[in-house]
Parts: sequence; C-alpha cells; structure tokens
Amino acid sequence: MTTLDKKPARGEGRKDPWSQLLVKVGKNQDRQAYHALFEHFAPQLKYYAMANGMASHAEELVQEVFVSIWRRACLYDWQKAAASTWIFTIARNQRIDMLRKMRRTSVEMPVETEDLWQIPGEDDNQPVTSLHRLMSERRVRESLKHLPEEQITVIAKVYMEQKSHQMVANELNIPLGTVKSRVRLALNKLRVILQDQNV
Amino acid sequence: MTRHHPDSLSLMEYSAGNLSEPHALCIKLHLDKCLSCRSRADTLDSLGAVVMEQQPRVSVSESMFDSILARIDSSPAPQPMAKPAPRINVLQKLLGEDINHLPWKRQLGDVSVMDITDRFPGQQEQVVLQKLVAGGKAPAHTHRGSETTIVLQGAFADQKGVFNQWDFVVLTDQDEHKPVAVGSEDCITLSVLSAPIKLTGTFTRLLNPFIR
Repeated sequence: MTTLDKKPARGEGRKDPWSQLLVKVGKNQDRQAYHALFEHFAPQLKYYAMANGMASHAEELVQEVFVSIWRRACLYDWQKAAASTWIFTIARNQRIDMLRKMRRTSVEMPVETEDLWQIPGEDDNQPVTSLHRLMSERRVRESLKHLPEEQITVIAKVYMEQKSHQMVANELNIPLGTVKSRVRLALNKLRVILQDQNV
Repeated sequence: MTRHHPDSLSLMEYSAGNLSEPHALCIKLHLDKCLSCRSRADTLDSLGAVVMEQQPRVSVSESMFDSILARIDSSPAPQPMAKPAPRINVLQKLLGEDINHLPWKRQLGDVSVMDITDRFPGQQEQVVLQKLVAGGKAPAHTHRGSETTIVLQGAFADQKGVFNQWDFVVLTDQDEHKPVAVGSEDCITLSVLSAPIKLTGTFTRLLNPFIR
C-alpha cells in the first residue's frame, strides 16, 4: 500500500491490494482473499460498531457486514470506489439498518436504507468518472496526514461516534461555531467545500 | 442545473449516516441529480473509510470467520446477487404515484399540502409536500425551527433567488419569505420541518423511541 502511494498520477488507476482482493472475491468466490479482507477489516469494523454505541451488537454488525460483502462482491467495481470506501458504506448502511430494526414499529417503512444511502457503484445512473473516485480516496488519505489534530478529532467523532456537531461541541466544551469552523477548514483542505461556499 | 446545494457539514453528517431518514431523503434526491455534490459525497465516504482505518482495532472472536462461512454456505446456492434491477425511484416508492395526482389538501389560496410524516415511522420530524400552483403566490411566512426543502418540480422564487428543480435550501426561523411559483409548472417541494420539541443531536433522535 505504501509503495502504491508513491506512484505518480498515472498510477492512480491501479487497484490497491484490498481492492484486488475484493475483486477476486467477486469474480471467483475466492475464500482466501475473503479471509484476508476479514483479517484486515473485521477488527476495524468491530471498533466502529463499539465506538458508536453498539457494543452489545458489535460482533453481529461485523458478521452482517461480511455476509453482505460476500453477497455483493460481484457488484463491486474497483473503478468506482476503493475497497475500503465500499466496505465503509456497507458498514454504515448495516448500522443504520440495525438501528431501524431495533426501533421498528408495527408499520412497515416503504423506504429502505439503500434508497437513502447508496453503496458506490451500485447505481449506474452515475457517470462520475472512475478516476475521480479512485483519486479521491488517495487524496483524502494524503490530506488527512496534514490536518491538525483538533480537526481530525472532531471529524472522527462525527464518523465514528455518530455525534452531531452540537454534541461534539458539548463534549469538548467548545462553542458550536468552533466545531463547525474546524470541520469546514478540514473539508476545505479535502476540497469538499464548493467554490461558492465560504469557509 | 442545480444552483443551491447542501452545505458541506450536512453532507458530512449524511455520509457518516447521522441524518434522520427524511433529511437523508432530501440529500439523496439532490445527489442523484447533482454531479458535483455526488462527487463531494464520494469524497466524504472515502473520508469515513480513512478515518475508520486510523482508529484502534478490536479483535473479533476466533470462531467468527467460521460462522460467517457457515452462513454463506447455508444460504441457497452461492448464487451471488444478480445485477440489481434498477431501483424504483425513491419518490415513487414513497408516494406510490405521480406527485401531480396526490390527494393534495388545499390550504391557503394557491398553496396545497400533503403531510407524509407517516411514511417515516418513528421519526421526530414533520415531512410535507407543498404545491404552489404555477404563477401562484404563497403568503409571507417564517418557519418554526429549521426547514429543509428540495424542489421536486417546477421552480419558485423569493428574495433570496430562484430555486429550480432539485435545488436544496435550508430556512431557519430567521428567514421570512414570500415564495412565488415561476415557470409554467406547478412548483412542488418536499420539506422536512424540525420537531416542535427540539431534541439535541441526531443520536438522541434515534434513541428517542426507546426512551418514550
């Protein structure tokens, strides 16, 4: 992975090792590749589940995510997203699904989680160029290295602990405006802010 | 071409999976039609992956991989998911029919509404469709709490500008506006109104059904 990081821009289209493994799972139901992915991602996913308050369901979430990875791997398109991004979105959706099921009332919900939160590459209405997507993960990883700790802390709380900006502000005992400006500064570095939006 | 987009903080909360379903719906409808926001959201999904990768790891029980294999093997044939059928448009799924033929309730003059809050059981927010007949005017009004709106059809204009199909706008109780439907079509919007009782944060909102 580190060697790939050094490749020049032309190498951006190359698959990272995890994406290569995922492609093997999708194409050949390769169990060895699947196991390697499990070894790498399962401990991350378990932390993810625990950090966002699902401690008693953490292993269940990891299992659900991996069963889902197996079943969907044939839909995975490495040109649309890196494996880690793809797996993150599956984990996010499984978490939302589990919370939905836990609070399910007798009424059926007409809209499914995936109608609202999409897994990259599974909706072909999107002509966004593959290169753009691949670069985005490399760029994010690179940019994140240069962000001040205080900005990363705030972002991690939003992603890992499912905290709203207001809750992060309360917890860190700083004004909401400070939280928002830290996030905006970080997103600006990641070039997520639209040009017409003020930082 | 949409000109009014969700702000980056909301997109991040969306990518993190922290938004309520009605809010996520507004964002998703916009993303489906706005390439630049779709690509911002993709970057944010990658941010989620990279953040997750940088966190500590927690080892899983030794037997887990075997139980996963057992589950995979027990499911009918390793017939992996076929290419999914193109998803039915989420609005159609939600409403069941064309938005122009809904049982609209005439409210004031040119304005009709339809409350679809019951499509989102267990949510704290009010979700409404509003229709302003072509050329019609809505009376000046403010919003209680904040209101997130996406234009589903037609366009409206107020003192802040023109809002076309798939434009995204958030109004707070500070904003008084007097929208006018412009163009030849009725203007139909989907709005999510924050609950009258304001709970702090998304997580509380998710937990609330348990507390009640």
